[in-house]
Amino acid sequence: MAHIEEHKETQIAQTEKQNYVMLNLGKTPDYGMPAFIQVVKRSLSLELLKGLGVTFREMINGLFRGKMHTTKYPFEKLPIAPRYRAIHEMLRLLESGHYRCIGCGLCEKICISNCIAMETRYDENQRKEVSEYTINFGRCIFCGYCAEVCPELAIVHGGRYETAGEQRAGFSLFEDMLTPIDKLKEQKEFAGFGSVSPNADENIKKTPLAY
Amino acid sequence: MSVQKIKKQPITITIDGKECIGKSGDTILKIARANGIYIPTMCYLSKVEPIASCRMCVVTVEGVDGVVLSCQEKAVNGAVVTTNSKELYTQRQNIMKLYNVNHPLECGVCDKSGECDLQNKTLEFGIANQSFSTRESNKKVENWGYVSYDPALCIMCEKCVRVSNEITGNEALSISVGGYKSKIINSKNSTCASLGESAAVCPVGALVNSDFKYSSNAWELKQIPASCAHCSSVCSLNYEVKNDKIYRVTNNFEFSSLCGVGRFGFDFENKNVKKDPQIFREALSAFKRAKSINFSAIITNEEALILQKLKEKYKYNLVCDEAYGYQQFLKAYSSISGASLYSGDLNAIKESQNIIALGTRINDDNPMVKYHITMASKRNRARVAYLHPIEDSNISNIVTQFVKYEAGSEEGVVALLANTLLSDCDISDELKNFLDDLDIGNLSAESSIGEEELEHLVKSIGKKQKSTFVVGSDLYTHPRAKQIAKILGAIEKYSDFSLVMVPPATNALGVSLICSLDEETEGYTIGYNAKGDFELSSLGDGDMDMPALNQQEGTLTNIDKRVVPTNVAVSYQGYVLNDISNELGLEAKYTIDYTSMLPTKAGFQTEDFDNLSAYFDNSGCEHRGYLLTSKNVKVTENFDEIEELPTFDGAIVYHCNENTNISVFANTTQAFKLNEIYLRGSSQFANIVKIKDGDEITFSTNGIKYQRVFKIDEGMKGTIALNPTFDMDSNKSLSGSYRFSHLHREQ
Repeated sequence: MAHIEEHKETQIAQTEKQNYVMLNLGKTPDYGMPAFIQVVKRSLSLELLKGLGVTFREMINGLFRGKMHTTKYPFEKLPIAPRYRAIHEMLRLLESGHYRCIGCGLCEKICISNCIAMETRYDENQRKEVSEYTINFGRCIFCGYCAEVCPELAIVHGGRYETAGEQRAGFSLFEDMLTPIDKLKEQKEFAGFGSVSPNADENIKKTPLAY
Repeated sequence: MSVQKIKKQPITITIDGKECIGKSGDTILKIARANGIYIPTMCYLSKVEPIASCRMCVVTVEGVDGVVLSCQEKAVNGAVVTTNSKELYTQRQNIMKLYNVNHPLECGVCDKSGECDLQNKTLEFGIANQSFSTRESNKKVENWGYVSYDPALCIMCEKCVRVSNEITGNEALSISVGGYKSKIINSKNSTCASLGESAAVCPVGALVNSDFKYSSNAWELKQIPASCAHCSSVCSLNYEVKNDKIYRVTNNFEFSSLCGVGRFGFDFENKNVKKDPQIFREALSAFKRAKSINFSAIITNEEALILQKLKEKYKYNLVCDEAYGYQQFLKAYSSISGASLYSGDLNAIKESQNIIALGTRINDDNPMVKYHITMASKRNRARVAYLHPIEDSNISNIVTQFVKYEAGSEEGVVALLANTLLSDCDISDELKNFLDDLDIGNLSAESSIGEEELEHLVKSIGKKQKSTFVVGSDLYTHPRAKQIAKILGAIEKYSDFSLVMVPPATNALGVSLICSLDEETEGYTIGYNAKGDFELSSLGDGDMDMPALNQQEGTLTNIDKRVVPTNVAVSYQGYVLNDISNELGLEAKYTIDYTSMLPTKAGFQTEDFDNLSAYFDNSGCEHRGYLLTSKNVKVTENFDEIEELPTFDGAIVYHCNENTNISVFANTTQAFKLNEIYLRGSSQFANIVKIKDGDEITFSTNGIKYQRVFKIDEGMKGTIALNPTFDMDSNKSLSGSYRFSHLHREQ
């Protein structure tokens, strides 16, 4: 998997380090005779074998030296940027393990394709409990409004981008999207659309407590 | 004679440079609102006396030092009022800052979010952070049955307390004063459904309906303006609907009220109905075979008209036991008073200074009438005389004089009242002869009303000008109902009393005006929400389904003699009565096409359904449908002699539904569904019948068999027990017969 790690580095972190170099390829022939001469030259200097040589070298590197440049897609996936908007995830509170969603219904209200449906009720602990929560991914346009409007950063976009299905309507339930409780410590804080700004602490105004 | 109205002088004041016209005695705030000028308030509620706890409504008046509270200051002709200035704004802003101290930041889950006064005003006055502080105490959420109370959210505006005292009269809520620790307390530990009325006026999420709590955001719900189907007050309400389900009922709480059953008993729709052509064909052949149609008065005016038209076409016997007695009563009354409709209405009750209630257990028969009597009692200090064989402890706080009479002696009671009330009036010879012939001594002995009680009654009326006589369904089914109605007509005609005849069922007034009813069914009978050989039922238990009143559009006629529209809240997929009548030769695309055909002879107007409005304007004026016009009727004054009054000895049963289970529809709702139906009586009744609390009892009255569980009610006295009848099918011997009857116990 070393080659995937390599991509991780090049994609974002090293953007600024990249050096672009212009190649000197000469002038492209623009009429009959020079073009013919170029073909004859290239054929006689066996450039074809040079090309095959490169291919052969990369094949040896890829197969035997562990320097493969392609990924075996369904089995290997490239990591995506945190701002990418794929299938939603429901996060939990790290302290208590309880789901973060407070059932305020803002995501349902703001959803422009009307794909979020939820029902809430009053539970035994005097909390607003989410009794039903579904997202119809056949309708979702992954606009990200739900994640942006969520006051608790409970609904966020994750990295699961494969949404092909056999049916037009594909529903996801709350439980499917919720971080499994045993994987709570692997839950990452969302850094994408609608997340807390880096200077959030500076904007907080303190409530006076001078009693 | 109708209520004498004191004409209020119009006055003109200038508010913010605008000339505003109001009535003398109106407050500045009331005039401003009626003229579309906005003055912010937090504690003001139009339907109760000004509370004056928030001080948001401050205004300045030219020539007056300082500020005045516009909610309680009566306007003076020519006054120049300023509602907004920099100082006033700062003052209001400071009030809002104080309201926001430690208010929980849980708008995200709060039920009130989106329709919260505090939220709105906080944004309006730009309160972005908390500038004052205090130590917060631990406040626990309390559950009061139909409503629950969260003291942490409460802003102590006192609206709920005022409503419970002034409107519903349950007097359950009060304030525990303690500075920042003040809260509302439920001193009686009441769990009654009328607390819902207090919850409705709460400007924040402190007092909310328990069944609605946290189930939906306010803005997700679609409001369907409709009319309550449970009793004859037919109050205006909004069904709030999402995904074809009613979540809650709200109303315009500034100007109107709703009782507990109207507010919480909303899910009585006929569910999961599909069109079944086979059953439809059966229904058609049943209609072709039928000789009679028996129906309940819980239907719309349009359906009543369809039935009437079918009667005209097929010569059916049209029977509606609930409305028949009422119709006859109304007719007899008209023959004396000369008007086709009684003169009073709920507003007349509210404004009365003197009220006599006769022949109705008013708290259970019609909660809205009770609310209006409460308002009169609390606001005008009205004298309320309650004449009934059973004392009702629920209304003891508003009744100033309880007069107990013997069950069955209503005719004598009315005659005695007429004799007392009309003694100084200029009356016709026929009436004079009738009254002179009365054997007063005998009547008062038989009815057990003492002369001193009557004297006291007359004395307390004194010079009070606005008086209302409220009569109810004990009288309509009385064997001597016609005579009683005539005497009442005379009382109304010759005294200052206005009369309100509380219709015995939701649309009993409409049915009795639209249909020409027959007394008895004969032959093959179609039952519509009533007994029959082929039954159409809105409850889903008949041969064919019909929509319930929250699944229909149409009009209803209420106690105020107002024709009010109602709309579809929950969808209905089955057949309606109009489908049947179309097959039988009547032609109308929709049921509401009949709205404009309602009989103008009976006082209806030829108004299309879609032109009927349903709202209250800023000044509190009701724009809901239209008022029936009372027609002149030929007067023939003749009174029969009073026959010997019937006597009831031993254990007596009084057919009376409790105020939360007014009708069979209320009993199908989640909030009021009862598994056991109680016969409630006093311990004296228990001794006579030899029965203990919690015993099962089987008994029959007028040939109908009941199975009940007996419960001793400590608030009751005497040998009369209350027997609810909402679970029984409407049939002749029940709703058409006198409400008091002997109890025949069966082993």
